[in-house]
Amino acid sequence: MTALARFIEERRPRWNRLETLLEEAQESETRLGPERLQELVLLYRSACTDLNRARTLTANPELIGGLNQLIGRAYRIVYRRRRSGRIDLKRFFLREVPATFHRRSRWFSLAAAALLAGAAVGFAAVIVNPAYAAALIPGQFFVERPAARVEHAEKGNERIESLRDATAFGAYLYTHNIQVSFLTFALGALSFAGGIVLLFYNGLILGAVAAQYLIDGAGTFFVAWVGPHGALEIPAIVFAGAAGLLSGNALLMPGETGRVAALRDAFPAVFRILCACAVLLVCAGLIEGSFSQMSARSVPYAVKIAVAAALFAAMCTWLFGRRDEGA
Amino acid sequence: MSRRAIVQSPEHVLIELVPAGLGARLAAFLLDMALIAGILQLIALVAVALPQALRDIAVVTASFVVIWGYNTFFEVRWNGQTPGKRILRIRVVDGRGLPVDTPQSLIRNVVRLLDLFPAGGVGALAALLDGRNRRLGDLAADTLVVVETQPALPAIEALAARRFNSLRTPRVRRYVEHRIGIEERELLFTVCLRAPGLSDRARFELFEQLGAHYRAELGIDDPNLSGESLVRGLAAMCAGGKEEPAQAAKST
Repeated sequence: MTALARFIEERRPRWNRLETLLEEAQESETRLGPERLQELVLLYRSACTDLNRARTLTANPELIGGLNQLIGRAYRIVYRRRRSGRIDLKRFFLREVPATFHRRSRWFSLAAAALLAGAAVGFAAVIVNPAYAAALIPGQFFVERPAARVEHAEKGNERIESLRDATAFGAYLYTHNIQVSFLTFALGALSFAGGIVLLFYNGLILGAVAAQYLIDGAGTFFVAWVGPHGALEIPAIVFAGAAGLLSGNALLMPGETGRVAALRDAFPAVFRILCACAVLLVCAGLIEGSFSQMSARSVPYAVKIAVAAALFAAMCTWLFGRRDEGA
Repeated sequence: MSRRAIVQSPEHVLIELVPAGLGARLAAFLLDMALIAGILQLIALVAVALPQALRDIAVVTASFVVIWGYNTFFEVRWNGQTPGKRILRIRVVDGRGLPVDTPQSLIRNVVRLLDLFPAGGVGALAALLDGRNRRLGDLAADTLVVVETQPALPAIEALAARRFNSLRTPRVRRYVEHRIGIEERELLFTVCLRAPGLSDRARFELFEQLGAHYRAELGIDDPNLSGESLVRGLAAMCAGGKEEPAQAAKST
């Protein structure tokens, strides 16, 4: 029986050549140049035929496994999606991101509803019984008497004294917050319910803290303190949560199109939303590290609240402003 | 082999993706971690040259970008490999056998946050339970990590080149051509190819056992012909060795 041996002997030079080309193409297929790339495609096609032929001739695991690996590697190069030469950041952020926010608006509504429901519950609970505050608010955010803290903040030295403090604190805040948004996304993407619970919990803390300050007569301080960065930061967490819900929905409840297709449909949207979150959180962090910390002596409350409103309006115009073309 | 994923290429060829084991993946991860730690050290060193006001923000931001961007940067640029994965010869691929794209890579690396929770336990558990060794990040991004090692193509010609084959008689040839099917042929090849890796005792016993079978089938009762010679001779005939003039050891 010579068919198999002859087959291998005949084809092996081609397989070896294909392997050499694959080694070279490992980093980028453009390095090969058009002629050798074409050769690679031809060799790939012929290797495909060889694999099918080999499967009828033999069950030898080494031969089939080796050819299979070779074809798998070539497949990833031959069917690689073309990478666009350069990334058009302006188009990405001004067209594609808003289009995604527009098209996926129901997930943003759901995520915002989860956060707001949490905030309402937290707020109501503390208004009804201020003693709940200690139970609802985690230790690192809990203050016994907000009014005392306000007094300290307003009478003492400025908390942020130099540019260095402001930038260092800001950088700490945004890196931390981006990680929080990643966590919110990841929980939603894997369990759906986990994302909703985390959003609800974040809202709960926020509502409870707000109620605590309000009861202590420091409501305006709270808005002026949290507002300027919160106007961007809180929506950014909601957006990350929405990205998680949208991805988790594709993973867990893909519907008729099937999981693979549903996930492929969700990926670009998730990517755009997470990029928008990162941008918003960098801005929010830098504001929180400087402007938000300024006392009423440097910047009146009214100015800070006005800035907060302006930032929120600007963000909404960017992300939800009407666009003519959809994507 | 159960832990395999099969994709069908547009050429109607079934390509098997062989998932990488947890050991290789952990080793690649640790190598990448070491590299990231090195880069962070370098950033801290270089930052000394910056003005005070910008130093902290530059270090924190650059470190953040390196920690979160390293994997995605390399996986997209190097077609699914990071330096650690390249050394271990494993690769991240899309669930359909294609290269990973940027959103997928970002998602699988963001979800790593959960996979690393308590000391990597969640990710390892998910990979153990999943049929394709996927951790949670791979599930969310529909990716898997495959091995890239190239199993050596079998040296069947080497088997065929057996110069002194006492079995080349018309009767044995007829038996080989008509009675030995594809699977039996593979058995013969595999035994011969793997024999060097066996212990002497196991090798002897295996060949004697197989030899006894063929001795009975072919009615050979030459006490000087060892089981191994008999099996290798048959394998050589199956592999279609060229007609060597069998000068010595003619049995007829």
